[in-house]
Amino acid sequence: MSMNPIRLVPGSGMVRGMALTLRRFFEPKATIRYPEVRADIPPKFRGRLQLLYDEYGTLKCETCFQCAQACPIECIDMGGMDTKGRFHVHWGAAETYGERREESALRRSGRTVPDPAYDHFEGVDVGAVDDILEGFDHDPAHLLAILEATQAHYGYLPVGALKRISQVTGTWYAQIYGTASFYGHLRFEPPALLEQAAAMAARRPAEQAFLAGLGASLSGGGGDDA
Amino acid sequence: MTDVTILPTPRSWPAILLPGKDAADPTDLEAAMAAGAFAGLRLALRDLGATGTTAAIGASGLRGRGGAGFSSADKWRAASATPASSRVVVANGYGADPSSATDRVLMERNPYAIIEGLAIAAFAIGADEAIIAVRADAGATIRILKTAVGAAQDAGFVGLDAFGPGHHLDLSVRTVQGAYLLGEETILLKALEGKRGQPEQRPPHPATRGLRGLPTVVHNVQTLATIPWIVVNGPEAFARIGAAECPGTILVQVRGPEASGVAEIPLGTSLRDVAALAGTPTGARKLKAVLVGGPSGGILPPDALDVPYTFAALRAAGAHIGSGSVIVADDRACIVDLARVLTRYCADEACGKTIPCRIGTRRLSEIGDRLAAGTSRAGDLDLLTDLAADIVGSALCDHERLTTLPLVSGMRYFRAELDEHLERGSCPAGVCHPIAMAASATH
Ligand SMILES: Cc1cc2nc3c(=O)[nH]c(=O)nc-3n(C[C@H](O)[C@H](O)[C@H](O)COP(=O)(O)O)c2cc1C
Ligand code: SF4
Ligand code: FES
Repeated sequence: MSMNPIRLVPGSGMVRGMALTLRRFFEPKATIRYPEVRADIPPKFRGRLQLLYDEYGTLKCETCFQCAQACPIECIDMGGMDTKGRFHVHWGAAETYGERREESALRRSGRTVPDPAYDHFEGVDVGAVDDILEGFDHDPAHLLAILEATQAHYGYLPVGALKRISQVTGTWYAQIYGTASFYGHLRFEPPALLEQAAAMAARRPAEQAFLAGLGASLSGGGGDDA
Repeated sequence: MTDVTILPTPRSWPAILLPGKDAADPTDLEAAMAAGAFAGLRLALRDLGATGTTAAIGASGLRGRGGAGFSSADKWRAASATPASSRVVVANGYGADPSSATDRVLMERNPYAIIEGLAIAAFAIGADEAIIAVRADAGATIRILKTAVGAAQDAGFVGLDAFGPGHHLDLSVRTVQGAYLLGEETILLKALEGKRGQPEQRPPHPATRGLRGLPTVVHNVQTLATIPWIVVNGPEAFARIGAAECPGTILVQVRGPEASGVAEIPLGTSLRDVAALAGTPTGARKLKAVLVGGPSGGILPPDALDVPYTFAALRAAGAHIGSGSVIVADDRACIVDLARVLTRYCADEACGKTIPCRIGTRRLSEIGDRLAAGTSRAGDLDLLTDLAADIVGSALCDHERLTTLPLVSGMRYFRAELDEHLERGSCPAGVCHPIAMAASATH
């Protein structure tokens, strides 16, 4: 086996490395105009998951949990603001995938997963959740009814309760949270006392706002002051 | 009973859905039977048989009243042709449009027609499960439906051995709530399964793969309530009512200067006659536009009023039947402001599953906001045209496609008014507060 003699000179590797860095530094940047142009990507390349911001600086992610539900090994989990402006759960950085996988394995085994990001959502007595689940035969097909009963009991859906539902029924947390965050009548934090009265009065806030807007638009009075 | 007014219609218009006289108690089964309830189901079971019933509905030309106007018999055939251990029929009584009470009025006044229609459809496709889905906050409606279902069960029209020994029909009333989109059939089925309410790629259509994977026929409650009439009076009699390509009657919610209420009209009636049910603007006020189809409706000008009220004609005009809502706007209304309110609501209610849904509808509504605020950018109307075409071309469900209608129809028929906002930052109707005025108004 013959060797390139230069490779044998000590320190030459570093010089060659620096030369490569310098060359790359002055090369033109390549922006690939995807989807018109597609880069030649190795078949196993998966890139790095990163959440993006739109031009107004708002996180584009809607916390819809579709990616978390689609990922076969549960390495994706969500955090940030959801569509209703609520902060929730957390986003595992690419670096922590190893850790997430271990957690997922634990989660699937049915045991509680210690997760510091959830800590400040804890502190509810989940006994009531167990009773509710009992009443629905632990059947995830009744998830909406289970969530409604849970909210009726606590006044909102505590994360601890959702985790308990996940743990007992074996339904993915992502699926439970994804379902709960879709329906307008379900909420994740206790309504402030004053707000509760208002919430009772306006049980269909989005619809009421729409009807009010429509009425204002049609009577020609215009938006706010009419 | 509802607080909703039933608007008087010409005596020559047939009444299929809303019985002429108000029953004292709509849940009184004996009275309903004396007026003919469940005669259709008996005919279907004894004389027509499953295929005969489907053939009769096919021959009648019945199209779904839920908005898209799809052939009902085609759905039934698809469902019965799919091999399955069990099948499901769902009555869509969600009534998504907050400004339309058509379906609620029907459920409260004529619950047995819906139950009978459900039973006939279930018998025809070989279903053993039927669900009436209704909104959770419609207390009175739910009570009436539950009482009626109980009575129909006791009388043996549904329930154990309803279609003969060993042929059951399990009928339940289920409540759902929490999103406009629950009216869309695949989303409604998701809610009934306790899942996040996002639509599915079609095909497979629910008729072949729906609730829990079973073939599922979803019909609007009006469609179902029409079925007994067809079975009793025959498809030929039905085909003679209304428009040739979509026979029968439909409920509309008309809101105008003099009245607001629900009416039953023959399909194919001119939009002018429909709008006139709530009076026409008089005196100094002039009719400016008619909003047809609900939150995602089209805004049509007075000279489009000759359009017949049918699925195809309204779509061609840039509107749709949708929730049956017809709203008359006089010259005080600003088209830009109206389109902005509608588009914003539709964008807020979009489920977030796909890019046209999540981002497209939002960008669309921002164009409306900019027009109304006098902050439009050059090329905004071209952007609107392009974006609307992209959304229509790539949408997953109809909601996104329909969300383009208010702004696109506004641009099509009221271009001068849009240009006024765009180029001069002024609102001819004096409704919007364009930027120049807004700045001084804050002091
Ligand atoms: C955004 C959206 C909302 C809808 N809302 C309703 C509704 O409130 N009630 C209804 O019957 N159909 C609604 N539909 C139509 C249903 O998806 C479905 O087509 C209908 O229930 C089928 O019944 P049909 O065959 O009797 O028309 C909606 C569709 C869309 C896209
Ligand atoms: S949660 Fe939804 S919006 Fe956010 S990254 Fe995942 S798929 Fe995208
Ligand atoms: S996919 Fe979200 S509304 Fe249609």
